[in-house]
Amino acid sequence: MKRAGFFFILFVIGSALIAPVRAADTRYPDWPCVQPKVPELSTASMWDGPSIAAVGDGWQNDPKVKDLVELIAARRTPMDAAQKAIAEFITGTADEKQQKAKEVFAGVFDTLSAQRSEVMDGLERVSRKEMDLATKIEADVNNLHALEDKPNADQAKIKTLASEVEWSTRIFEDRRKTIRYVCDVPTTIEQRIFGLARAIKQTLN
Amino acid sequence: MWLRFILGIALVLTLDGQASAYRAYVSNERSNTVSLIDTDAWKVVKTIKVGQRPRGIAYTKDQKYVLVACGDDDTIQMIDTGTNAVADTLPSGPDPEFFTASPDGKFLYVANENDNTVTIIDIARREQVGAVQVGVEPEGMAMSPDGKILINTSETTNMAHFIDPAKREVLASVLVDQRPRFAAFTPDGSELWVSSEVGGTVSVIDPVKRVVKDKIEFAIAGMRSDPIQPVGINITSDGKLAFIALGPANHVAVVDVKSHKVIKYLLVGQRVWHMAFTPDGKYLLAANGVSNDVSVIDVAALKVVNTVQVGELPWGIAMSDH
Repeated sequence: MKRAGFFFILFVIGSALIAPVRAADTRYPDWPCVQPKVPELSTASMWDGPSIAAVGDGWQNDPKVKDLVELIAARRTPMDAAQKAIAEFITGTADEKQQKAKEVFAGVFDTLSAQRSEVMDGLERVSRKEMDLATKIEADVNNLHALEDKPNADQAKIKTLASEVEWSTRIFEDRRKTIRYVCDVPTTIEQRIFGLARAIKQTLN
Repeated sequence: MWLRFILGIALVLTLDGQASAYRAYVSNERSNTVSLIDTDAWKVVKTIKVGQRPRGIAYTKDQKYVLVACGDDDTIQMIDTGTNAVADTLPSGPDPEFFTASPDGKFLYVANENDNTVTIIDIARREQVGAVQVGVEPEGMAMSPDGKILINTSETTNMAHFIDPAKREVLASVLVDQRPRFAAFTPDGSELWVSSEVGGTVSVIDPVKRVVKDKIEFAIAGMRSDPIQPVGINITSDGKLAFIALGPANHVAVVDVKSHKVIKYLLVGQRVWHMAFTPDGKYLLAANGVSNDVSVIDVAALKVVNTVQVGELPWGIAMSDH
């Protein structure tokens, strides 16, 4: 392999390493996204209806609430279908409506917050793997460099190592693209919680 | 005779209906469009295709154009309010984000985010006539009611720069909390309010002494402090109430201007950014970047009374004066 080839690989790795490893917030060194990490959501930023403090995980005791939460939290359920299901369920006297609304919102918040945390943990896990891979690629490139500099270089060894570097770089790049795409998912989940909270609150107006 | 009478009533009703309808133009940063909202029907009546990354948006004084800063195109586009199409452009300099006009409407002062500059444009001539070097990442722009002082905030330098618009030089700089985003004078010009997004505060500055005389802090029950990021500030024309958009806290704080005390927090949409009053002062519209909508606040009742879906990542609002 020619020196120009090395420089090309170094260039590719160099440009690839910068983006995912850079952490904007020093508190979360593994966080790979441009979007700032907000570890936990608070109900107060989504809901100005009656307090759900007393509900806890009590919403899980009512199968009807549980089924509704499962249906409306799912991304495959279109928002207008979710709004309709909410309006059909939250009926009755003012007190009954309040109780139902609190339980449904608590269920939506718990379910989707948990999903959001899973996605965020996954992102950090993949980000750590990326950093390990980056270190490995860097070491392999240095080895390759050293091998090539030897007077009687083992061409077969060079070829094998070069091909390994190429593959690792490809995996690194693919993962980087996936990370960028998945970085939008926590926000998408927040939008869903907010939209559902608004629809639930509307039944009380 | 009867026909004329009926037609007359119909005409009066139509005119009456039109009289209360204002037009609000909302810049959608991600969809590269401007949504036109009719404030009578509270719905989008037209979506206008504009340049890339539209953010700062405002009417010209003669109401003939709505100007929109298209940061990624390094230009300010002029939307003809008659045809609702882009008719012309202004040479804004690189990455324009926000701007304000001179009280006579002749000059435009533009914050160039990536160039540490405020560019001055003669709107009629469509020409740059000067520039002022300011701090790093200039953002907020405000003109004092008497037109004598221009304020620019710089996000990274954490300062409010006092600029003499005639001499085009920085007279003084006041240090505020981290990442100052927006500046607004009270209608009588006696106070300058500057929001700090990361600092989470609004600094109240005495514009004569040029010192911070008070700081407004925010706390929402059940919420950690980090999502509370003040951005837009709108003060009622009687100078009594200020509304502060708190970004990802999804709330607008209502502040008593005299005492600097928060009276109420209103849940609006997600990532609330900039706002605009209807000219009659009855409503305040707030652009919510993540929920992609505009909240309508009833100013007298201090209640959110409507929500209008717009494009993606709504940023700012320009309101017609009739």
